[in-house]
Amino acid sequence: MNRHFFNLRKLLSCTCVSFGMSLAAIAPAADAEEIVIGASLPLSGPLAGFGRDQQWGYQAAIDDANKRGGVTIDGKKYSYRLVVRDDKTDPSVTASNTETLISKDRALVMLGSCTPALVNAGALVAERRKVPMVTGCNPLGAFRSVRKWTYVWDIFFDEAELAEAPFRMLKELNIDTDKSVALLHDNGPDGKVVGGTLWPRLAQAGGYAVKQKAEFPVDNMQFTAIVSELRTKRPQIVLVDATAPQAISLRKQMAAAGYQPKVLVMEKGAESEQFARAAGALSDGVMVGAYWDPSFAYPGAQELARRFERDTGIAVSQHIADSNAAASVLIDAIGAAQSLDRERINRAISRTDKAYVVGPVKFDETNTSKLPIALSQWQGGKAVIIWPRRVATGTYLQPK
Amino acid sequence: METLHIAANSLVSGLLLGGVLALAALGLSIVLGVMGLVNLAHGEFVVAGGYLMLFVLQPFDIDPMLAFPLIAAIMAAIALALQRTLLRPLAGGPPESSMMTMFALSIVLQNLYLTLFQADTRSIQLPSSAQSVEVGPVSFGMIYLVGFLISVLVIFAAHCLITSTQFGRDLRASAADPEAAEIVGVDVERVRGWTLALGAACAALGGVLAGAIFGFTPISGPAYLLNAFAIVVLGGLGNVFGTLVGGVVLGVLQSVGGVAFGDGYRDLVGLLVLLIILGLCPQGLMGRKHA
Repeated sequence: MNRHFFNLRKLLSCTCVSFGMSLAAIAPAADAEEIVIGASLPLSGPLAGFGRDQQWGYQAAIDDANKRGGVTIDGKKYSYRLVVRDDKTDPSVTASNTETLISKDRALVMLGSCTPALVNAGALVAERRKVPMVTGCNPLGAFRSVRKWTYVWDIFFDEAELAEAPFRMLKELNIDTDKSVALLHDNGPDGKVVGGTLWPRLAQAGGYAVKQKAEFPVDNMQFTAIVSELRTKRPQIVLVDATAPQAISLRKQMAAAGYQPKVLVMEKGAESEQFARAAGALSDGVMVGAYWDPSFAYPGAQELARRFERDTGIAVSQHIADSNAAASVLIDAIGAAQSLDRERINRAISRTDKAYVVGPVKFDETNTSKLPIALSQWQGGKAVIIWPRRVATGTYLQPK
Repeated sequence: METLHIAANSLVSGLLLGGVLALAALGLSIVLGVMGLVNLAHGEFVVAGGYLMLFVLQPFDIDPMLAFPLIAAIMAAIALALQRTLLRPLAGGPPESSMMTMFALSIVLQNLYLTLFQADTRSIQLPSSAQSVEVGPVSFGMIYLVGFLISVLVIFAAHCLITSTQFGRDLRASAADPEAAEIVGVDVERVRGWTLALGAACAALGGVLAGAIFGFTPISGPAYLLNAFAIVVLGGLGNVFGTLVGGVVLGVLQSVGGVAFGDGYRDLVGLLVLLIILGLCPQGLMGRKHA
């Protein structure tokens, strides 16, 4: 009898403790009203550098909004919470992450990943689920070519302008070359468009002699044949569109082969600070398309850059700007819509017309807002704007 | 003439690079040959060499030539500890247990690298990284030649260790017949520990050289593992010089593929020819035929 009573008492105790713990777990959630903003980002893989910068940009915008008190809708106060999932630079993971963020993590709205393959993969899911998504880091031509969008909005540059930039820079800065050029690109969507289609067309139109053209897979790290050919044919201008690991590897292999072009542009791969860090002195003189610099006269640009460098200890990346702006556009739209209804939020996004840290944002009929292009060059570990002259913060330096 | 020049440069570079890849693969060959263990964490040992050089030794401005033996020693110690804690308890069990343990270790290591060092691409700067060598009409990177020479030296040292020392005799005995080796007094588990240590040390050295030539990330391991498997199979399981030959042959095959079809097809051509060679010579180029 005593043993039976003891077991029953133990059972009742355990049940009360479990019930109490469950209440404790539920209770805070009931008090916290949150608007979840979801994002699938490449936090690992070849684009990890971009993903980290984007995450910072997104989080900074959300932290700022929460510091301002979040948003009040129908008398109820809400704070914002960013939920990020790592897509490992794999478009199939971006798509499944987006689905998970919407259905499991209860994301009301979404922010985009980086580069067309990843952004578009997530965007298609958001579009199908009718969830508003604002993104940067996706060239507008690649975005528009997928479909006519209703719920997804893109703030970035047009790759036609990006492709044209080196040729315009050479002309306007009067850089002396023999107009021989090599065009090297990966076989990703943007690599094929910029390197495979636009650059050859622009080279021909500008009277440049294309001495070498090569395409390679996005995970290729050995460029022996390409570098051998570069060294033999010695084009004075080399234009590359490749990821950061490839750009670093190619730059090192070019130096090891004793080949030094007069002009070297490495789109995408030379954007982030990891390129300058990994390539060291070999990064000096390498150019890359730029759409933002802290020196640009946009609201909060310098402060955002200083904050990033203070928080992370690394040199500022332009990706913090378009990501910060994308998140700010979403937050402003939720505030303007005064509703958690996705259709109303989406309509509010379409009416965006404001200057953000990345510049003026106003969407056209293709759901895009274009950022103007400049060219930056790595000089002593810092990215310096060298073209166009009106926004330049330094002068052109020949690669050593 | 231009095409010949390009081909010659590519082939020489491929040959020299093959030597570097052979060093990275040597550890896998020895471990597979002696322990019968498919070390699925081998690629992560290669990457570990790069991180050790970058974050442990380079900040202290240690001479690269001195850094190499230090990295080998550190990696050997780590591998020895791993063998004692993870693999020794599984001795006597099915081989799948050890293989799966190493697979789990590879995942853990990738995530550890990601947490400690972030996902950024890293690169090692050695004095010869940006220098080129010209021999007549042929030119190649100095780092390729230095890497090849270091690889040959280490492989030769490993060969001497295995063929001319007591440890080497114990290692060969353990590989041939572990039970018989135990009976005659060989501490087989101790030999296996030191074998994994030797393999990891070689892998780490290969990782330093590969990190100086290409660069690496936390998830570069699987690509190195794939190359290593190809080299080990090509050269003959457990054959030290065979691994060097296998590496050089694969490097040359990949260069031919790169010159003929573009660098994007290097791996495809290299592995296709590997399949053909194995079809004709299943034991590998220098492996022993089984009766």
